[in-house]
Amino acid sequence: MTDWSRRGFLQGVLVGSGALVLAACGGGGQELRIQHADATGELTANLYITVLPSGRIALIVNKAEIGQGVATGYATLVADEIGVPIDHVDVELAGSNKEMRKGGLQITGGSTSTADAYIPLRHAAASARDMLIAAAAAQWHVPASQCRAEGGFVVHGNDKLAFGELTRAAARMPVPEKPRLKTPAEFTLIGKTNRRVDIRGKIDGSAHFGIDVSVPDMVNAYAIHGPVFGAKPTQVRADAAKRRPGVIDVIAFDWGVAIVADKFWQARAAAADVEVTWDKGDAAGLDTAELAKALRTHDGDGTSMHDKGDAKGAIEHGDVKVGGVYEAPYLAHAPLEPNNATAHVVDDKAEIWAPSQSPTIAQAFVAEALGIDMDDVTVHVTLCGGGFGRRAIGDACAQAAQISRHVKRPVKLTWTRESDMTQAWYRPIYAVRAEGAVRGGAVAGVRTRVLSQSIPLSGKTTFGAALSGLPGPLAHLFEDAALALFSTSSVGDIFAAEGLSNSPYTFANFEVTADPVRTKLPVSFWRSVGNSVTGFVMEGLVDELAVAAKQDPFALRRAILPPASKQRRVLDAVEKLSKWSEPLPAGRARGLARHMAFGTEVAQVAEVELEGNRIKVRRVYCVVDCGLIVNPDIVKAQMESAVIFGLSAALDQEITLVDGVVQQRNFDAFPALRMFEVPEIIVQALPSEDKPSGIGEPGLPPIAPAVANALFRLTGVRLRRLPLQRAWNERGAA
Amino acid sequence: MKLVVNGKPVEVSVPADTPLLWALREEVGLTGTKYGCGRALCGACTVHVDGAPKRSCVTACGDVADKPIITIEGLAENDVLHPVQQAWLEENVPQCGYCQAGQIMTAVALLKARPQPTDDDIDAAMSANLCRCGTYPRIRKAVHRAAELLAKGGSK
Repeated sequence: MTDWSRRGFLQGVLVGSGALVLAACGGGGQELRIQHADATGELTANLYITVLPSGRIALIVNKAEIGQGVATGYATLVADEIGVPIDHVDVELAGSNKEMRKGGLQITGGSTSTADAYIPLRHAAASARDMLIAAAAAQWHVPASQCRAEGGFVVHGNDKLAFGELTRAAARMPVPEKPRLKTPAEFTLIGKTNRRVDIRGKIDGSAHFGIDVSVPDMVNAYAIHGPVFGAKPTQVRADAAKRRPGVIDVIAFDWGVAIVADKFWQARAAAADVEVTWDKGDAAGLDTAELAKALRTHDGDGTSMHDKGDAKGAIEHGDVKVGGVYEAPYLAHAPLEPNNATAHVVDDKAEIWAPSQSPTIAQAFVAEALGIDMDDVTVHVTLCGGGFGRRAIGDACAQAAQISRHVKRPVKLTWTRESDMTQAWYRPIYAVRAEGAVRGGAVAGVRTRVLSQSIPLSGKTTFGAALSGLPGPLAHLFEDAALALFSTSSVGDIFAAEGLSNSPYTFANFEVTADPVRTKLPVSFWRSVGNSVTGFVMEGLVDELAVAAKQDPFALRRAILPPASKQRRVLDAVEKLSKWSEPLPAGRARGLARHMAFGTEVAQVAEVELEGNRIKVRRVYCVVDCGLIVNPDIVKAQMESAVIFGLSAALDQEITLVDGVVQQRNFDAFPALRMFEVPEIIVQALPSEDKPSGIGEPGLPPIAPAVANALFRLTGVRLRRLPLQRAWNERGAA
Repeated sequence: MKLVVNGKPVEVSVPADTPLLWALREEVGLTGTKYGCGRALCGACTVHVDGAPKRSCVTACGDVADKPIITIEGLAENDVLHPVQQAWLEENVPQCGYCQAGQIMTAVALLKARPQPTDDDIDAAMSANLCRCGTYPRIRKAVHRAAELLAKGGSK
């Protein structure tokens, strides 16, 4: 594992409140930096950046690499600013570290990583660079202003000194408080490189994910979770299992039964000999068909989230009224690496290795499960085999820690796919009543009432329960921080209505209300969170309005988007890219949708056909404005990724429960798009010098409505329920 | 029993019905082959047995004893990437990377059977492998590129 001692010495010296701690090392900091440099030849400029004697840069990335390319993005920012080739940057993933929390949390989510780091991380790199330059300038007796850093050297005229030769002297230089950052015109890598720094290990089998962790003396655990979420084992018969070779113990916990063996295959095989009787479980009685029906027919206006003009009156007086109830199911994240964690608990201290999107939340779960202090939990973060929000939850970490405490050995717990899918902390179920009207060919008003299972309320009961053993302020801090991080506003049930209450549409009369729904099933963040549904709702309704107004979908949207806006620019670009006005072959139709999430605007045009009864998406045009582009190919990759991930959900995926039992247990019942159904995807990222915004999630919200809108143009049938294939199959049935 | 993995015989003591996946990962110590579903639905565990792609999560060790098994770790020779891996690199295929060992093993087998695959051939072969990150468009390009590299190099 990573040698944490190397930069650990700076902790407690650098005091800062931001995720990127850049404060000058005053007082003892400088002394420690010099001692460290003299002993090791390393210039540890700050918590994130160390210049090694080899001249390579060791960069600590305080984010989870879940495939979104953050390791590459951060390496690019640092390499460009400090002045080295990108392959001179060695990336390490940060584990739990109080100094690296932001708003109380270390977390990867809300498509915030690049936006958060764009200035501070370059500041950190520039600061190291200027210390190196200062050291060289002093050696040459020339002004620092006459020197520059490039290619791993400080250069002055014909003289140059390698970074690695300057580390000891640079450690003695003051930390610049305001180092000059490059202007975009000076960038050599940002926006210009398509390299990814982490490919090699991912194509030769050497990349280590959480499931590959191995620590000395480690044993393995296989978990049996109950049929109903939250079911507790009441009786366990495991005598035969315990006699099997390699089996160490079979242990009942509140959350299920763990079979511990030397090897995972031994534990897995022994499961056949374990009989468990379960209690009813927390989610007993929960039936999604009944729940959906109740939400669909619920009357009541909800809490106001946004209110402008008189939407109700405007709709009443409209010429043509449109709308209906838009619905979306629970969804699992189903990352391809099943949930897992390795834990070693000794007395009241826990060490965890996990593919985690939030070491802080993992600490909280483990601390709660063991009844120990959060500060006594150390989390090492591994590569994540996908995340999509699932890995913000520390449930497997807590379970592994409990098992380790019981067997007094390090334990790796690997969930089965079936556990991963049935215990997933799902994307909330939604029913949104959306109404609108046109009058005189223009949009008169729009009203939406959101009913959804609330993530914050789920947080209060489930996160809250997980944190009940902790001091109250910490639980509050945790909830508030999670809310602040993932949302674009800060009142009410922000996740439920995000994408509606902050819509850029300039309706004169516009009302958004929301009412939270509670069940015992925990829900959480799923790629693009509320936007994954609200984009479907708003873009479906706007398409309905365009039809009612007898207007082209582009023309209608232009009329309700601010002139000279990012939205208009993206809309114009996708119209051109998709050749919207040109005819299509018979049997094919186009649909348009746009959405802004986490500051990034994305518009998509989907070309759709029916093959028998199967909805086939043949082509998707996608235009994105995510501000300044750090790595063009990763932006493109994330758009492709979000379209495909979103299309799997839009067409086919749903989690349903019958009497609390999740009906989908593996990829046969919860299908994901495969190669033969993947559309051609044409991506255009618009150039921009605005501050970068997120790219991991914003490509997702437009795909479902783009397909639904295309299907309407193809068939005249308006689908307002996800997944679309089931809605299509059941069309006309009440 | 004896497994022959990447050209080397390895003695493993597991019951005959143990899935090859877990024997590779835990007994042979090769963790590049991944667990994804346990039911031959996702392809993350794909290896070659006798040159043909097999889902190691549902392949019993007893059925493949003494047969040549190739895993992702056995593709590169002396640190020189296999042309399929090289194509994956050049097309920037991986995102999270978890499924890619299985994808690459399936592609290598496809290209052995069909050195110049059509898009339909790629659909037929590669649809056995799931990728939740959605790298499929790049996988398709990389398979075509690998076919070119193989045709030029003529090896493998």
